[in-house]
Amino acid sequence: MKRLTFTIGPIVLAAALAACSGGSAAADGSPVPAGHPSGATVTVVAKDLKFTTPAVRAKAGNPFTIAFDNQDGAPHNIAISDASGAKVFKGDIVAGRQVDYQVGPLPAGAYGFLCEVHPDMKGTLTVE
Amino acid sequence: MHAQLPLFAARSSLRPADVAIRAAIVALTLSTAYIHSTLGGLLFTLNAAGYVVAAVAMIVPLTLAVRFRWIVRVGLIGYAATAIVAWAVMGPYYSTAYVAKVIEVALIVALVIDFARHDGSPVAVARRELASLTSLFGRGGTVAAGA
Repeated sequence: MKRLTFTIGPIVLAAALAACSGGSAAADGSPVPAGHPSGATVTVVAKDLKFTTPAVRAKAGNPFTIAFDNQDGAPHNIAISDASGAKVFKGDIVAGRQVDYQVGPLPAGAYGFLCEVHPDMKGTLTVE
Repeated sequence: MHAQLPLFAARSSLRPADVAIRAAIVALTLSTAYIHSTLGGLLFTLNAAGYVVAAVAMIVPLTLAVRFRWIVRVGLIGYAATAIVAWAVMGPYYSTAYVAKVIEVALIVALVIDFARHDGSPVAVARRELASLTSLFGRGGTVAAGA
């Protein structure tokens, strides 16, 4: 019987990670330290599969920018939910770069945010 | 007395189409493994590791792996289907995830074709395995099959 050598080396297709920007740069100034209610820009950093700034604040009724700095090679994003769990904002998923998310005005209250790829990555957003 | 199984299987005569399908299965499996390995986190890493193990099991020439290749095929179909369903339920829905799911659907199709070419119908496989068990426990023999 004819014998057929069957050798298959590892074949890996490289799948390009999505690189969809969430919007334009902040219009009025550089990011301010997280935790300060600026009404303009808040910074959230993702590193080692955690948000290093897990508690941020924003002004009620004003649109604001989230300067999201994903320092991981893994893809992350920010999705904000209100107290009832309803999603009020969803940012594009990015890997290894910074993106500015433009968030519409939110009523005062406590919100939670997380990474949709890694739901264990959580933080809180206080709008006041 | 039971016949001793050799560690390595005798080379099987695979037709070019069989080799192409098997190569496609390995390529698709390693592709989705690679994508999952880039996502970070324990769950995705374990998922990637599972795919790599399955890819190896699809081609390793060990007698046991060859004999029970149909289990590897069915297991990998279930594994990929579970990954698709879990993603459909939980997300996230973005471009890389869609690419991974298209690969997994193609993988399932290739596995079904491979199963049909080598194992026939699932009923035939069940009958063959029952006969094998009967033979093993009844007369102590071994049954050689698979590819």
